[in-house]
Amino acid sequence: MSHRWGMAIDLDRCTGCEACVAACHAENNLPLSNPEEAAKGRAVHWIRVEHYYEGEFPDIKVKHRPVLCQHCDEAPCEPVCPVYATYQNPEGINVQVYNRCVGTFYCANNCPYTVRSFNFFPPEWPEPLQMAHNPDVAIRMGGVMEKCSFCIQRVKRAEGEGANPQPACVQGCPAEAMVFGDLNDPESKVAKLAKSGRATRLLEELGTKPKVFYLEKTS
Amino acid sequence: MATAPELLPYGQIREDLFRPLGGVSRRYVLTLVAAMSVVLLGAFAWFTQLRDGMGVTGLQRPVFWGFYIVNFVFWIGISHAGTLISAILRLTDAGWRKPITRAAEAITVFALMIGGLFPIIHLGRAWFFYWLVPYPNERLLWPNFRSPLLWDLMAIMTYVTGSVLYLYLPLIPDMAQLAEHATLWRRRVYSILSLGWTGSDREWHALERAMKLMAGMILGIAISVHTIVSWDFAMAIAPMWHSTIFGPYFVVGAIFSGLAALLIVMALIRSTMHLERYLTWHHFNNLAKLLLLMSLLWTYFTASENLTVWYGNEPDEMAVFGARTRGAFAPYFWAMVILNFCVPFVLLGVKKFRNITTSVIASVCVLAGMWLERYLITVPTLSFPRLTTATSFHYAPTWVELAITAATFAGMVMLYLIFAKLFPIIAVWEFKPHEEEE
Amino acid sequence: MYLFAEFHEKAQLTAAIRALKDAGAKDDDLDLFSEEPVELRRGVLDRPSKMSLVSVIGAVVLGTAVTSFVYFAQNNYKLITGGMPTFSFWATGVISFEMTMLGGVAATFGWFLWESGLLRKRDAATPVPLVAPGAISLRVRCASERAAYVSDVMYRAGADSIELKAA
Repeated sequence: MSHRWGMAIDLDRCTGCEACVAACHAENNLPLSNPEEAAKGRAVHWIRVEHYYEGEFPDIKVKHRPVLCQHCDEAPCEPVCPVYATYQNPEGINVQVYNRCVGTFYCANNCPYTVRSFNFFPPEWPEPLQMAHNPDVAIRMGGVMEKCSFCIQRVKRAEGEGANPQPACVQGCPAEAMVFGDLNDPESKVAKLAKSGRATRLLEELGTKPKVFYLEKTS
Repeated sequence: MATAPELLPYGQIREDLFRPLGGVSRRYVLTLVAAMSVVLLGAFAWFTQLRDGMGVTGLQRPVFWGFYIVNFVFWIGISHAGTLISAILRLTDAGWRKPITRAAEAITVFALMIGGLFPIIHLGRAWFFYWLVPYPNERLLWPNFRSPLLWDLMAIMTYVTGSVLYLYLPLIPDMAQLAEHATLWRRRVYSILSLGWTGSDREWHALERAMKLMAGMILGIAISVHTIVSWDFAMAIAPMWHSTIFGPYFVVGAIFSGLAALLIVMALIRSTMHLERYLTWHHFNNLAKLLLLMSLLWTYFTASENLTVWYGNEPDEMAVFGARTRGAFAPYFWAMVILNFCVPFVLLGVKKFRNITTSVIASVCVLAGMWLERYLITVPTLSFPRLTTATSFHYAPTWVELAITAATFAGMVMLYLIFAKLFPIIAVWEFKPHEEEE
Repeated sequence: MYLFAEFHEKAQLTAAIRALKDAGAKDDDLDLFSEEPVELRRGVLDRPSKMSLVSVIGAVVLGTAVTSFVYFAQNNYKLITGGMPTFSFWATGVISFEMTMLGGVAATFGWFLWESGLLRKRDAATPVPLVAPGAISLRVRCASERAAYVSDVMYRAGADSIELKAA
């Protein structure tokens, strides 16, 4: 039986430290932004941490929710791409083929989670930052869409070595709030968590069948 | 009421309609040069965008579709002026269509040429646009036929082919006559394009039969094209896009704006080419009434779209609805209602106010209103995605988008000026002196 | 042997055509030339046409061909998108519709070129009359010994002028 990669994120553990964001940037050669471009909403992030506040200070409750590509089984972004630049690979990862992308923006408009980023300009790295590039990850040119790949390069390498893959965000999480694994393997931690009763999925009512599970205390 | 143009002597008709083709006035040259310079500015803006990247536009996350898509929908809407209207009038054999059809069909072809550019202009990597075409390649990669953008490509391709032929067919007899009267290069061009038309009854029968068939088919194509354009939005699950009303709503809006464009063009032709005897109040009155009808239909669709959303009170949709009716986009929304409903209703609905000047004023208002309508469909939905933390930077166009938008209008003027110099803007042969026997 | 007869009244033209056909002329021997379409009563000078049939055939052929091509292309390189079936008739239906229409349009235009004779090789020896604006010229093909008779028939029907042209 083939793999079906998924992730569980324990929101009761998440501290909102954004280490996952930093790890993702380093791992995936995300293009740098500058304050002006970021203010226009053009900074590229494959994962972001949303903060929710309940109540008034000092009686306040804060919730953090890291949002990355949900790798939906029935992803709304996929059928609308006219050139198959995004599709479901056999292991359940919603992949983005940068070289095929022509930049119609349609996938990003149809993503209910708004997790897709566009390269509005060709990426640039000031010297000597380009030396720190991850050689396993392609540099995207200007004009293409990009998004979380579940660190497919790590998944592939781990498969070759027979190890358990760990995306950069999972590895970087100091609170160990994120778990990655094979949902088809009933013994895996992520499969157990997905069935634990604490699990919910984001905007599940849309029928997108995401493969990222958020664990929360249900009271 | 002025004399119906059908009653003028035939030789006079031909002379009147062929006269504007000869010679260029100072005003013509100046307008053409002005239009061309704006088009060049637009071309430079596009070049800048290709060289530097899409970042030179105002697009941003989450508003990935902006002015370009608005213009795309707008111009495809304008294109419904012609073929659709002239096809309906031809099929119902409305006699008053005769001086209007060609002007309308030319609008269609040019609006399609302009509108059809925008899906390419808005691409992140526009130079790879041909990847959408299913051509055989060494990797055996085909495009994704399930994508509404592929539908769009096919629909627009069909519509362009159909409307170019639909414009060309009734031009053949006129060009055959022009070939007899013209000299030098014009004579050669007209006689090649008229394919050796002799005016035999076999040719006429084939032409009229083909026009009837084409009119029927073009009607289906035109309706499907704008429905498919609306499905670019409606197939997405974004709030206030995912709606079954979009197909007919867009078709009605397209005919509405197309009629407005046609009225403006006709008024310009009438005054600049001195065709007052051919484009009479009768024609303007009929078109103005049609415009009023479409305005009411459009209002009905707008009301039913917004009322269902408001009553349903679904939070994601209400965010967009609220922004449109009382939030950041409210000024545009209410301006749209005034321009598309109030102005035409008063100017065209009250008989005392309805004349050529007011129908042109109403048409200009309708064009502006319909442009705003497309803006209000595209941008607010994208500004308010379902996950509220991903909201909402204010999209504002940059000079690049503004220049390209201006260039489209200038491009329309330019193409129309050139067309009107090369071909008679009213189909001469359609004024048949040999009326059908009862 | 060709005869050109110029008419200004449709009633006279109709009478001339009827008289010629009574005298044994066939539809193929008669041609009208005018600067605008001339519509005669049914049965006077009919030009039967297969254009509707051809356009339907063109529509069906291209629609079917493209739908089959899409079926082939989607199955030739199977990619899963959005949980949709590999070949979805409904999603492809839009393309099928458009290509059906395109087939109809193209076939109509092609058949127009054929039926009107514009694209067929023309016999350069066949003379074409010059028609004055508003007039209708009737071209009759006949054997040279019958020319006098034919022109007499047409004069009696009301032709304004008659011209003889050798083939």
